[in-house]
Parts: sequence; C-alpha cells; structure tokens
Amino acid sequence: MGNIWETIGRFYETTVFIYGTVLLITYALLAIFSMISVRAYARKDKFNQENTLLSSPLAPGITVLAPAYNEGLTIIFNVRSLLTLNYPKYEIIIVNDGSTDNSLEQMISEFELVQVDFAYNIKIQTKPVRKIFKSTNPAYAKLLVIDKVNGKSKADAVNAGINAATYDHFVCTDVDCILHKNTLLELIKPVMQEEKKRVIATGATLRIANSCEFDEGVMTRMRPPRQLLPRFQEVEYIRAFVLGKMGWSLLNCVPNVSGGLGLFDKEIAIRSGGYDHSSFGEDMELMTRMCRYAYDNKIDYAIRYIPKTLCWTEAPSTVKIFNRQRTRWARGLAQLMYAHFGMFMNPRYGKMGLVIFPYNFFFELLAPLIEFTGVIYYIVMSCLGLINWPTALVLLLFVYTYSVMITTMAILWDQLTFRYYKTWKEVAFLCMTPFMEFFLYHPMIVIFAIRGYYYFLTGKKSTWGNMQRRGFQTTQKTAATVAAK
Amino acid sequence: MEYNLYGFRGSSLNIQIAIIFIIIAVSFTVLAYLSILTGRYRAYKREKKLASLYPVIDNLLMDHILLNDELASDVPADHVALPIEVFRLPVFEHKWARQALIDRLIDYRNNVRGAMGEQLRNLYIQLELDKDSLKKMKSRKWDKKVQALAELSNMNMSIADVTILPLTNSSNRELRAAARHAYIKLSKNEPFKFFDVVTEPLLMWDQVELFKIISTTEHIAIPNFAQWITYSSNKSIVSFCLKLVVHYNQISAVPAAVKLLDSKDRYLRADAINCLGKLKMESVEDKLLQMYDSQPLNCQLEILKAIGRISSGRHVDFLRQEFLHATDFDVRKHAAKSIINNQWAAKGLIEELVETATAENKLILKHSMNPLIKY
Repeated sequence: MGNIWETIGRFYETTVFIYGTVLLITYALLAIFSMISVRAYARKDKFNQENTLLSSPLAPGITVLAPAYNEGLTIIFNVRSLLTLNYPKYEIIIVNDGSTDNSLEQMISEFELVQVDFAYNIKIQTKPVRKIFKSTNPAYAKLLVIDKVNGKSKADAVNAGINAATYDHFVCTDVDCILHKNTLLELIKPVMQEEKKRVIATGATLRIANSCEFDEGVMTRMRPPRQLLPRFQEVEYIRAFVLGKMGWSLLNCVPNVSGGLGLFDKEIAIRSGGYDHSSFGEDMELMTRMCRYAYDNKIDYAIRYIPKTLCWTEAPSTVKIFNRQRTRWARGLAQLMYAHFGMFMNPRYGKMGLVIFPYNFFFELLAPLIEFTGVIYYIVMSCLGLINWPTALVLLLFVYTYSVMITTMAILWDQLTFRYYKTWKEVAFLCMTPFMEFFLYHPMIVIFAIRGYYYFLTGKKSTWGNMQRRGFQTTQKTAATVAAK
Repeated sequence: MEYNLYGFRGSSLNIQIAIIFIIIAVSFTVLAYLSILTGRYRAYKREKKLASLYPVIDNLLMDHILLNDELASDVPADHVALPIEVFRLPVFEHKWARQALIDRLIDYRNNVRGAMGEQLRNLYIQLELDKDSLKKMKSRKWDKKVQALAELSNMNMSIADVTILPLTNSSNRELRAAARHAYIKLSKNEPFKFFDVVTEPLLMWDQVELFKIISTTEHIAIPNFAQWITYSSNKSIVSFCLKLVVHYNQISAVPAAVKLLDSKDRYLRADAINCLGKLKMESVEDKLLQMYDSQPLNCQLEILKAIGRISSGRHVDFLRQEFLHATDFDVRKHAAKSIINNQWAAKGLIEELVETATAENKLILKHSMNPLIKY
C-alpha cells in the first residue's frame, strides 16, 4: 500500500515538475515575443499620422456598440464620452437592455431622442427589441438607442446592436468604460495595414480607471490605483495585455479580445452566430467561434493587438465583487473548453487547435487545480515529515523570484515604450506590487477560479453579477465614491 | 563563502539549477528597474533640453522669418535677406539640436505657404540641414530612411528617381509608403509614374495616405487615371484610380470604368459600378440593369445604389420589382432607398407602396424616408 502512494507521489511530482518547467519556458518566450512586437509596433507607429485618416473620405465606417443595464448614474456622461471620439465615419449604438432605472428616460431627454421606424434586420436572434430612437438634434446624429427586453446577458444586448449596425466593423465596449479619443483610429489601423490576411478582430490594452482623473469623459491623468486590490489588477492587466497578448500577437495566436474593448469584423461575427448569451465568457467564446469559422471556411485570418492603452475600466475594489467577477470568468473558461473541446490538439484548426487551445487548457484552466492540489500535497507531506525544507524553500524562492521577474518585464516593456505614469513615485508604487502579488492576490485568484469550476460542474444558477460601480465623475477628482446600482 | 560554495556543490541538480535561476531572475529584475530608471531619466533630460531649445528656435524663426514684413507681403524669398549667422548657434553643433531644428522647420513649413515657406526651405539648405537628411537616407535602417524621405519631401528637396523608385516597392510597408509619398510630392513631371512599377498591392491604409497627399499637394499634375484602369495588372491600383476618378470627377475615364464592368473580379466590378454611380452616368444605367441578374450580391447592391445616385427616374419599375419581390433584406432596403432618391419621378409609387406593402416592407420604406436615419 505504501508503495502505491509512493509511486503516485513520484508521478505527481514528476508531472508537476514538467508542467512547471514548460510553463516557465512559455512565459520566458512570451516575454521575448512581446518585447519584439511592442518594439516593432512603437517603431512603426511613430510614422503613422492619425490625422491622415481623420480627414479622409476613404475611412471605413465603424459602429460602436455599448450595452447598458441600469447605468443611470453615469449613462449621460459615458454617452457624451463616446460622442467625442475622433473618427470621420462612425455611429454609436447604445443598447438599453431593459434597464429598470431611468437610464432610457435620461437619454431621451438629454439627447433629444424620438422613436423612429427602423428597419431592424434580425440576423442574430435576441430578446425582442421594443423601440429604436434617433436624435432630432444634428449634434447627436451619430447616436442610435435601442430599447429591448432584458436578455439577462451582455451578449444578447450586443447581438441586438450588431443586428442594427450599419458598418462592416464594430467596436464592442462597455458603456462604463472610458475610451481614449483616438481609439477608433488606432483599432482600425491594423485592419487597413494588413497585407495578406483578413483581420477579424483587433484588441488593445485596458487599464484600471480607479485612481485616474477624467474630465468630461476624457482621461486627463493616468495613475496606478491607490487601493491594493485594484492595483494588483492593474499589474495583472499590464502582464496580460502588454506581455501576454502582444507576445501571442507576434505568432498570430491571440486567444481572446477583451469584452471591454475590441474591434470585430461584422460579417464573420454574424456568420459565426454572434455572442453566445449562455456563456459566462462571451468575449472569448465569440473569438473562438470566429476563429473556428475562419478555419472551417479557409479564411486566412489574423487577430491583432495594440500595446497602447485605449480603454479604462473600473476594477472591483472589494473582495466580494472581485470574487464574483473572477468566478464568472473561470466558469466562462470552463464552459468554453467544454463546448469547443473538439478543437483541442486538432490539426484542422491550425494554431488555434495546436497552440491556443492546449495553452488555455493546460495553463489557464488546469493551473488553479494544479496549484491547489500542490498546496494540499505540500501540507500532507509536511504533516508526514517528508518535506526537505531547505530544498522546498529554495524551489519556492525560485518560483517567487521568477514570477516577480516576469511581471517586472511587463512593466518594463510598458514603461520603455509609453511612459504612462507621470511621476517616479507612481512607477515605484507599481513596481512594488508584484512582490506582494504572490502572497496576497494569487491565492485569491486560485480559490475564485476553483469556485467557478465548481459552479460549472454543478450547474449552479448564476445571475449576471452586478459590478456595483462607483462611476467616473466629471471633475478633476478621481472616481467618485457614490454607490451606483 | 567556502561553506556556501561547498553547500551549492553538494546539493542536488534540481537545487543547483533553481539557485542559478534565482540569481538570473533577481539580476533581470534589478536590471529591469535600472532600465526603467535610466529610461525615464534620459527622457526627462531630453525633454528638459528640448524645452529650453524650442523657445530659442521659435524666437529666431519668428523674428527673422514669420514676422518678416517683406515675406508677409509675398516678396519672393530670394529677394529677402536671410541673416544666416544669427542661426549658427553653438548648440546646433549637436546632432539632437539640429534634429530639433529640422522638426521645427517642418512644423512651420506645413503651416505657412508662399514666400515664408520658401524662406524656411532656404534656411534648411543654408544651414546644411539637408546633408543631415541625406546622410539618414544612406542609412541601412529603414526608419532612418523613412525619416529622411519625410524631411526631404517636406522641404521639397529633389531626390533622384533611381534612388526613390526602387523604394516604392520595398518589402517594408512604412518605407514603401514614405517613398511613394515623397515621389508624388517631389516628381515634377510624372508624379504617378510609380503606379506603373508597383507590384505590391496598395493597402487600404496606403490608399488613404496617398489620397491625402494627392489631394493636398499643390501644383500636382493630375493625369488621366483611365490609363491605369485599363492597363494596370495591379487590382489595388485600379481600385484606387477609380476612387481618384470620382474625386476629380474625371469624366474622360468613364469608358475605362465601363469596360471594367466586364471584369471577372467581382470586387473590381463593384468598384466600377460605385464609381459610375457617383459620377451619375445616366448612360450606363441600361447596361447596369442588363447585367443585374447575373451579378453576386455585392454588385447587385452597388447597382441599386448607383440607380439611386443617378436618379434618372427611368428605372423606378425595376426598383419597385426588387423592393417587392427580392428575398434578401439588404436588396429590399437599397431598392427602397433608391426609390426615395428617385422620388421626383416616383411620388405615386411611394404612396402606393406605403399603403399596400407588407408590414416589414413598409418599415423598410419608412426607414428609408426618415431623414434622421442616414443608412
């Protein structure tokens, strides 16, 4: 009996060793790839003049889609922010997803909206659309507001927006995200500059808005969040976007374009069936389906990423809301893996099947489980007195220093290229965060992810988590402290 | 120390590797912090230097060129004295300061015209800043070349065709684009000659940039774009020329665009139909109608739009037919829009359709009639 346990233990240790080694090598490679692609982007970008497109009659049209559910506190401010975007040819579609507050009434009165007979073509099935509004004021001619029955998901609302969209590309964002004024100019560039492939989606870096300053919907001062939990998320976003996605972008293997901000090819999105309203990770799910559609129909596609920060979103600042968000994300990942498992290691799906899917499966889905079992194993072994403590501590120190190094690299690429933060203190403040991440933030993510998997397996009913946003205010002060919903 | 070394050698291979990686990770982390530190410090110093230099440059340019009364009254720059010694400051012996001066001269030249622009160019030449640009042009780095091309073309300095034409086909997109822009701006006789030699496709972005250069460059000789529509084997050049034909309302290129209606490429056909519609060529309406049934959806939609734009009122029945009987939603929507565009000849028809059409078609019609809805 003792022999069996010993064999299992050895097998587990060897598996974890191989797993860890491959993961560390992957991170190192991603750091190198991201450095190459961030530098290449920066070198090329200095020769691109945004005003070229701004005044051009040849600029392709873009539809900006922003679903809103009970966003009454900030809706006017956020729509005004979208109306200030720099782009010669775009429309804004706000989808009021059956809000129970006065969001719609506020918009009707503020933007002088009237109901119109709109030829709404249902290309993707959604909950019924009740009314469609346009503004009688030419200043808001770009604005279209859809009022629909609540579909209990962002996906359903965005799909309604896609049905009403005029242009060939749409940008999907959250109504509570603040976009950089050149977002559309930046996102369409990779589509227009691609030589051989069809760019089906473009993403850009998102940052945490919690301590930034905004004036009339425009970000005026970027700061790392003062609170610890949002600051951990800022560091995580830098690592995920600047290091992760830019690294994958070099290989044309971007696994996901964030739901907070992404530009998509409308035709491919519709042909892929639009957003899945039953998914908890609808952004990643759509991206997977779009890639799958492209492979099935032999479309030579590309997904591009921009290292510039074009969007600021309010991050959860309490553990309770953070837990809700991360549980939902983990559940979405599990759902996605289950629904598209046929792509796993399937050569028919090229890089998607052979690189992205295995990476997501082993290093995103399984990582929390392996970490969790590792901790249990550690505890059991230490109780049995079978731990060689000097060795264990050296290995722990190794993992710790490595994780700090990888995150610091991400901050370095970001700082060398864009230098977003104004003062030394702010950069130092951010640089200190990875030292605590390992002990305070990472364990939370592991626990919340496992909770998400548990909910997925048990099929626990879950509603769309209310983010309880605090909202961005119009003054120079940072995000206000009024509870939103 | 000896003990530690002994301890390291005596430990297992795993531990030895881990210790080596710990040292590497710590070193890289420290190095990263130092890089952030030095990067920010250098940028700070650079900004500080430039912040003190720019006012000096601005004052010199203001005093001697931009506020010069003679230049303001458009006396030719050659007849106005340029106090070149005033600009020969010791600071301009530094490369960074000369680059700052070039950048500033370009900024001002882009914002002024006539004699002042010429005097800025004279200053650029007399301070031998053109040599700096030409030196960059010889660099092996593509970004230096792009910078040089931008500087030389903004300063209207001629570059030999043999130097620039090969670059218009470079495999590097930025270099290729910069060379094309410079060629259009600088070539006195045949600014569009590179259209003949372009083998790489003109990307959407290239087209936007070229369109801007062509439509904003002064004294550019606009050729008849029909020659490339007819003879170019590069589809993107043909497509781009069709857009230029519309922009310059080049009726002489219409026969070439009409010939393109027989092209096997459906995207080129659609571009040609779009061009003819925007030029409001009533004479091609019959041909468009003839070919309608055999066309793919994108061409059919372009034909419907073209009939709306031409608005001759002769094909209202065809539009009615498509509006009432087509199964595709977009076809019906574009047919309705074109009926509305032809409303001077279809008033009765519109009233009849509003009363008799199905609920969905009625909605499409009302959508098309609503001035608040653009598309």
